[in-house]
Amino acid sequence: MVTALLIVHGLVAVALLGAITHQAVASWAPAGARPGSFFGRFRTVPAASFANAVVVLYLASALLGGIVYLYFRVDIRPALEQAGHWQTLGLFDIKEHFVSVGLALLPAYWVCWRRPRADESARIRAALTAVLAVIVWWSFLIGHVLNNLRGFGS
Amino acid sequence: MTSSHAFRRFAFAYGIAFAVLYVVALKWDLALFTVYPSLGVVLPGTHHSRDTVDPAMGFLAPAMYWYGWTATAALGALVPGLVAALLPERWMHRIWPGWLWVIPALAMIACVYLTMPWFRL
Repeated sequence: MVTALLIVHGLVAVALLGAITHQAVASWAPAGARPGSFFGRFRTVPAASFANAVVVLYLASALLGGIVYLYFRVDIRPALEQAGHWQTLGLFDIKEHFVSVGLALLPAYWVCWRRPRADESARIRAALTAVLAVIVWWSFLIGHVLNNLRGFGS
Repeated sequence: MTSSHAFRRFAFAYGIAFAVLYVVALKWDLALFTVYPSLGVVLPGTHHSRDTVDPAMGFLAPAMYWYGWTATAALGALVPGLVAALLPERWMHRIWPGWLWVIPALAMIACVYLTMPWFRL
């Protein structure tokens, strides 16, 4: 059951990673990019259309992660502590802090993309998306490292 | 239209306040509740094994504070969020909107700093 949850958590995270990366790159890609080029194609992506997906996927991923975390604390973390993987555990702690900060940013992120104001700078929206992208990338990579170190069933 | 503006003010203030309060909760260990997953017990407030028994108990019945820290910040951030929602729109124009990403980014750096002891073990 936990392994299934972990796999679903990973799959949701992959989808989230794709959505937020597309949106972040589309927001930051240079405006003068040549049409048809890599960045030019990114610029043409309707970035706002990713917002709902990002919010739903982030919430789903955080919820699944929050459930799996209970099992991690009991079954996995003690073994990592005994093996002296303190740095890895520190990286994981940073992940959990980042995820919480990102959760609280979701309402503002959604408003910025779905209810933009004419006088609002696009840079604020892009910066907020970049912060969320950093959180998602960090969480994905550290989760992956931890799973490789001692996945469920090992 | 008005409710949409109020929600915008709430969302902006909530995101900023949460980031600040999360760092405060982390620094001063202010978990709204403590979870003991192996026992299936949730206790209100922050509890460390040294409060009552030998520290080695922490290994047998590990405590989790992340849910509690998040709950503390989430609940605390409601206050500035709701206050901002009630404020007149013109007041919000005086606040630099860049704080919306700068403060969470600074909070993330603070979280990394507060996690540094793990890397000295």
